[in-house]
Amino acid sequence: MTDRPSILVPIRVLEGESVPEGVPELLAHAHVVLLGYHVIPEQTAPGQAQMQFEDRARERLDEYETMFEEAGATVERRLVFTHEGQKTIDRTTTEHDCLAALVPNATGPVEDVLVAVRGAVGIDRLARVVAGLFGETDASVTLYHIAEDEETDEDVGTLLDGLVDRLADLGMDTSMVETRVDRDQEALDAIVETADGFDTVVMGESDPSLATFVFGLPADQVADRFLGPVLVVQREPPRETEE
Amino acid sequence: MTERSVDVEPAGENVAGEVPVEEPESVTDDTTVHDDDVELERTIGLVGGLAIGIGTMIGAGIFVFPGLAADNAGLAATLSFAIGGVIALLVALPTSELATAMPRSGGGYYFISRGMGTAYGAIVGLGLWLGLMFASAFYLVGLGHYASAVFAELGVTLPFSPVIGIGLLFGAALTALSIGGTENTAKLQNVVVGVLLVVLTGFLSYGVLDAVGVFGGGTVPEQFFSRGYFPVLSTAALVFTSYLGFAQVATVAGEIKQPGRNLPLAMVGSVLIVTVFYVVTIFVATSAFGADQLGQFGETAMVEVARDFLGLPGAVAILGAGLLATFSSANASILSASRAVYALSRDALLPRKASEVNLRYGTPHVALLAAGGPILVLVATGKVELLAEVASFLHLVMYGLMCVALIVLRRRDPGWYSPSYRVPGYPVVPAVGALASFGLIVFMQGASIGIGIVVMVVSYLWYRYYAGDVTLKGDI
Repeated sequence: MTDRPSILVPIRVLEGESVPEGVPELLAHAHVVLLGYHVIPEQTAPGQAQMQFEDRARERLDEYETMFEEAGATVERRLVFTHEGQKTIDRTTTEHDCLAALVPNATGPVEDVLVAVRGAVGIDRLARVVAGLFGETDASVTLYHIAEDEETDEDVGTLLDGLVDRLADLGMDTSMVETRVDRDQEALDAIVETADGFDTVVMGESDPSLATFVFGLPADQVADRFLGPVLVVQREPPRETEE
Repeated sequence: MTERSVDVEPAGENVAGEVPVEEPESVTDDTTVHDDDVELERTIGLVGGLAIGIGTMIGAGIFVFPGLAADNAGLAATLSFAIGGVIALLVALPTSELATAMPRSGGGYYFISRGMGTAYGAIVGLGLWLGLMFASAFYLVGLGHYASAVFAELGVTLPFSPVIGIGLLFGAALTALSIGGTENTAKLQNVVVGVLLVVLTGFLSYGVLDAVGVFGGGTVPEQFFSRGYFPVLSTAALVFTSYLGFAQVATVAGEIKQPGRNLPLAMVGSVLIVTVFYVVTIFVATSAFGADQLGQFGETAMVEVARDFLGLPGAVAILGAGLLATFSSANASILSASRAVYALSRDALLPRKASEVNLRYGTPHVALLAAGGPILVLVATGKVELLAEVASFLHLVMYGLMCVALIVLRRRDPGWYSPSYRVPGYPVVPAVGALASFGLIVFMQGASIGIGIVVMVVSYLWYRYYAGDVTLKGDI
């Protein structure tokens, strides 16, 4: 086994969120970055919450860490007290170089994986997540693309074949990989609809756009409507620029 | 990313057997790290820091003091505000250095307890907590005056003065809101400060042009030192309450992103900005009416100035701005007071219970009540000048000691002390800052000095009784 993909698992540790059933098995081949975080109102100093809640939060995280380790993952963990949950998640993702973040929902044993392929951007990271997590399992992987009007069949073929080749390079048995293309559908609805027949979804984080501000990130919307776990592949972090 | 280790080991225990909480392992641009895997996120940026500083300060200096100051010092009140600004700047520079070396919650209390030991720390820490209560009460009484002016504007005549009643009402409401409210008020604070600055800039620009005669209505300024020279200094001592806010930035130092850059910018920047606004405001106000008449208008003098320039819309705008400004100042001070309680309780100088977090709301209800309750008692006195001076007294003691702490730390030069910002003009700036801070106290009223000294003595006795064994000073 080479190069476990780092997957961020954010858990609001003191608000009853826990590691749902099936998630440790799903991430058995990952390097899990377990982020327990607690969001506090700004009237409260983060240290104040830490003073009171650290012990309890640690106990929970110990428990979760063991769950992941027993399933076979390697685990690194952080406990963060914060005023802004999103900032904490983004920062931890960057600091630990996570390829993807998990939206934790329960699942049974993972047999079918739906991989939503948007375009060529970020496809290498997508491949590393899929190959790393599912390359050594019996799960079948479906690469799913919703073609746009101006895309020809050749374009789509090149895109998906390229991804299959890349997965093969990473040591995956491509007989387990299928492709599926739909046209004339609204991407989000199509993903959610198709996802019904699958155990988990892997998708990219979209570029922020106006719609993102109004409706939230597409990945979040899918996670809200699809009841299983969603792996959101993170954008390449911007290269360190000089200050 | 810069990462620095923190090597201060507090020790000992208090009467209740509580020991100070361990210090964090290191401080980064984004977090404070404990035990390697527990992090406290930093979430306040430069704008947020400036908003805390300016938002706390501007309510008092512009909306409460102009009438009182002009009454005391005449046109030379302008100079009083300038003196206050210079002293604040002399303290803000050393405070910036200390804050970048120790970006932790508690501000001045933290620097002094680590630099000079527990006794000084306790006096300053408890004094800061009480000082913030006095400041808060002062803002609330100011708010009461503005709300009463609204009634007057509407033509509602009440058989009694509603000032104190309204102050009490808002004090209670603010405390309740802080405990029960979980909305993100920080963004709101930024907007409030932005709106205030825009309204004031517009109003003052018009006022300055008018004062120099562009609109033909210029009045000839009267004699500058119409009340003599001494009142200039005593007025500076009185209005110094308008400059307390930059230290509140330091009380949330533990939550500021990139503390090495943002703390100095937020503190020095907010002092410079409000000083300019204050000086221009007093200049405009006194040139519109003259000191005598301005003094008769009292706390809400600015409303009359605005009415003189811009008629009813001007008066309404300044009334609204005054309500907003005093409200946000009071709010910021209550929150800072609660942070001070937390810092003291973390170090076992107050019972741990005092910083307990409410399970339902996630807010420190004990600390907030410990701030809000006494504030109501203070508001009930309704004495604007006394409240302001005691608040200034307690802060000035802290300011002076911060400057001393900086000199002490520089001379001892312990290994853990490595500020990323170093004060220019050492040792002159901190020395002059300390002298000026202590010096200003002399010009206060006897009653204010008396109350301030009582608070300090009681704080010291509390420390001897409750936490005499606790040592907080950093290693040498």
